[in-house]
Amino acid sequence: MNDTENTNGPSLLNDSETEVLQATKGQLNRLLVIFDLTKAIISAHDFRELLEKVSEETAKIFNAKGCMILFIEDGMLKIKAHYGFPAEIRDALTVNLGESFVGKVAVEGKPMLAQSPEDFGRLSQYIDIQTALCTPLKIGDQVIGTFGLYNKKNVDKDGNESIVPFTADDQAILEGFASIASIVIDKSLLYENALRKEKEALEAKQRFGDLWDHLQGFIENSADAIVTTDLEGVVVSWNIGAEKIYGYARNEAIGKYMPFIPDFLREVEKVYAERVKRGETIKDIETVRGTRGGTLLDVNLTLSPIKDPSGAVIGISGIARDITEKKRIEKDLISKNAVLSKLMMISSAMRGTLELNKLLRMVLTAVTMGDGLGFNRAMLFLLDETKNTLRGAVGVGPSSHEEAWEIWSRLTTEQKSLDSIMEEIERGPLRKDSFMDKLCCGVEVSMDNETVLTKAIKEKRAFNVTDVHAEPLSDPILIQQLGTLAYAVLPLVSRNKVIGVLWVDNIYTSRTITDLDMEFLKGFSDQMASAIENARLFEHVAQAEQELENIFESISDLVYFISSDYVIKNANKAVQSKLGKPLESIIGKKCYEVFHGIEAPWGKCPHHKTILTNKPFIEELEDPQLGGTFLVSTSPIFDKAGEVMGTVHIVRDISELKKLREKVANAERMAALGEMAAKVAHEIRNPLLSIGGFARRLEKRLAGDLKEYSKIIVDEVGRLEGILNDALSFVKSAPVNKTDFDLGEIIDSIITLFEPAVLGRGNRLTMEMAQPVKIHADYDRIKEVLINLVTNANEATERGNIIIRAYRQVLLSEADLLGHKARSFNVIVEIEDSGCGIKEENINRIFDPFFTTRTSGTGLGLSITKRIVEEHGGRIEVESNRGSGAKFKIYIPLQEG
Amino acid sequence: MKILVVDDEKNILKLYQVELEDEGYSVVTANSGKEGLEVFERENPDIVTLDILMPDLDGIQVLRLMKEKRPSVPIIMLTAYDYRDDFSVWVSDAYVVKSSDLTNLKATIKQLIKKTTT
Repeated sequence: MNDTENTNGPSLLNDSETEVLQATKGQLNRLLVIFDLTKAIISAHDFRELLEKVSEETAKIFNAKGCMILFIEDGMLKIKAHYGFPAEIRDALTVNLGESFVGKVAVEGKPMLAQSPEDFGRLSQYIDIQTALCTPLKIGDQVIGTFGLYNKKNVDKDGNESIVPFTADDQAILEGFASIASIVIDKSLLYENALRKEKEALEAKQRFGDLWDHLQGFIENSADAIVTTDLEGVVVSWNIGAEKIYGYARNEAIGKYMPFIPDFLREVEKVYAERVKRGETIKDIETVRGTRGGTLLDVNLTLSPIKDPSGAVIGISGIARDITEKKRIEKDLISKNAVLSKLMMISSAMRGTLELNKLLRMVLTAVTMGDGLGFNRAMLFLLDETKNTLRGAVGVGPSSHEEAWEIWSRLTTEQKSLDSIMEEIERGPLRKDSFMDKLCCGVEVSMDNETVLTKAIKEKRAFNVTDVHAEPLSDPILIQQLGTLAYAVLPLVSRNKVIGVLWVDNIYTSRTITDLDMEFLKGFSDQMASAIENARLFEHVAQAEQELENIFESISDLVYFISSDYVIKNANKAVQSKLGKPLESIIGKKCYEVFHGIEAPWGKCPHHKTILTNKPFIEELEDPQLGGTFLVSTSPIFDKAGEVMGTVHIVRDISELKKLREKVANAERMAALGEMAAKVAHEIRNPLLSIGGFARRLEKRLAGDLKEYSKIIVDEVGRLEGILNDALSFVKSAPVNKTDFDLGEIIDSIITLFEPAVLGRGNRLTMEMAQPVKIHADYDRIKEVLINLVTNANEATERGNIIIRAYRQVLLSEADLLGHKARSFNVIVEIEDSGCGIKEENINRIFDPFFTTRTSGTGLGLSITKRIVEEHGGRIEVESNRGSGAKFKIYIPLQEG
Repeated sequence: MKILVVDDEKNILKLYQVELEDEGYSVVTANSGKEGLEVFERENPDIVTLDILMPDLDGIQVLRLMKEKRPSVPIIMLTAYDYRDDFSVWVSDAYVVKSSDLTNLKATIKQLIKKTTT
């Protein structure tokens, strides 16, 4: 405060007037000070500037050298503005509440005048403080800080400056001012806060805008496919990455259901969508996506919900990364060890599998398995050297994309035992007769063609055809039938010999076959080749063994092994059927018990001769036990030490052969005999004819004894002619002239024909025929047969019965290819008599020519009968016991469609 | 009705002649195949019986030559035994096994005449 006017002005007023004047001046001064301050405050732009201004102006108004404003912050007083102090004081000094007079003012809330140096505390380190005035800054009753003035200046008349104490007036003015300042400060603080908040909001908005641009850029430029959809899967946004990866342009995709979901994954996709709708984010799904071009891609997918401000899920965002390449690298490199160990497992299984078909299938499975070599399709061609062709042997692979996915997701060796893999092979889509397999088995390539397949064989070299249209030697048959676009073939070389080729392609994934793939295949194909070769050899051996077994079993001779101690070790089917016993009751038994039913070795058996001499024997033996004539051969079997351990018996039933031999000899004899007979017969026929003919004339013309004598000549000639006819018809046979007729007709006529002769011997001739029996045969000859048989029956019987029976016997043959059963019949005619029967020793001879037991007759009747029956393809049998009649049974076969 | 009988046995010719004449036929005979052909030409028989086994020209040859000349004349072959499997006989109109009993031959002749006249 400047008091100069008070002291320097002329004293025209009295004391009381002066006093009033003084007081009024004082009031005015105070108002001026406040006015100045207010002006200063209003001119300030911001809070800090305001405080600085306040402190400077206040110091000037009060004529003080220093001013300081402190606020209570964090429990202590901090300098907010000062004037007349060094600049560094603001950061260097804080004042504790209660410390020095400033601290006391803040605590007590009352202004204070300070004069003693100890009151000033640490402030005096910065300026030399001699006098000070401090008042609290209050809002309401709350002290928010202090307002202090230091070192009041006084300039005397001479212009000398000195420091004087602050007056009570000063204190009162400062107090009033502080109360105004407090309000201004408070408002300013509020304004400041609002301002700060607005600025922060603007900054935040700015930052968000930057982030948004960044994000948009990121989404647009991302190599990943970023697609958002609504909850129904309809595409809402589609970035450039999605265009590149899936091949659909933005306008093709937006507004449609996600076009990259393969049909076979739609259900799975729904499950994912449900999870996301519940707010879940699904990370790192490894799945496949379809492209516009129809290929499948491996992708890594993250699905997240898109929420509105209220937190409700309104859409789904999907970020997909094409990991096809990554997958390949994984397969090729990362899982190399795993692959190798699987292949080791497969190849050890291969070495252990000798069944060729199974092996081939296993091999191809290893080639196509997801974590095997991972090719889409594989085929094995084997070289057929005899036909000079390459033939598809086994094919493995899915027939469509859908099937491809199914197989690859299922067929993995991961955590599977070898057994279950084998089971997969046998039951799964790689089974025999799959689409691919059938396709493959139909492929045959001539080795004369010059193609990749044949070159691989001829040059023992692998080929990787990356584009069939660019490779002039690519196989047209594979392109046509398999639709392959790129493929690789590897020769299968075993012991330096090419046995076939392995063919692979990646039609579904379109994955390029790399050099690494080829190397892998090569290593594998060598093992494969030797395994196949082994299996083939084994198959040959097994086949040969089976053939031997078949021969052994199906041979019609009896074949059996007998040890040196007469025990049967093995026997074929013929033995079983001849003996009528199952194998179990033959093997392990003594041969003489089984074959001869005796307790000790059979004297005639060549077995013990072979055992004794070590030499083979062949003998023809009559064996009453087995019933027939047998050609028996015994050959010794030697053990490794050269000792005989037993014999092989080969026994042929030659009973029929023997009979046949006898028949042939007989026939030859008869032929010679017959020829002679024919000659003789012919020579005597003409004279007989003349004799008989004229005798007949005489007989007609003569009477009495002469007529009788003539008749004798006629009869005898007739008998001779009869013998001639029999003999000659035996020699010279006529062809069979078959017609259809009913046997009943013939039998009827025969009964009529024989009536006088049958009655003459007191016999009864009857026919037994339930229904008409149609027959296709030579009428005359069948009649002759019946005449012969009835003649014999009548002559062998006296006062007895002769029955002619005729019926059909149905024989069913096996069904033919169309399932039709050809029915065949035997027509059977029986002539049975109750006569004297046939002697046992004669029964085998009665059909021989010229054999007769009768005093009359040629002995040709039955042999002619037999011949006629045989000409009809039939047979004749006889049953008889001496004294109880005979039964002749004729079988004539008759085919019917 | 004229019948030509050809046979190399004179006794047989004699027997056939008398037997057939008894039946009312006029009979001409020939003692060999060659003669048979001459008589066939000269006498124009209505029917011929022909033995098969003859020395110079056998019955089958004669049959063929006669059929070439006059195919309409029925010819009966007489055989020593059943000749059914000899195809050449089949061109004849009938065959009869030679027998001292001529009933069969006579019946066959009657049948053939009946056939040609109707």
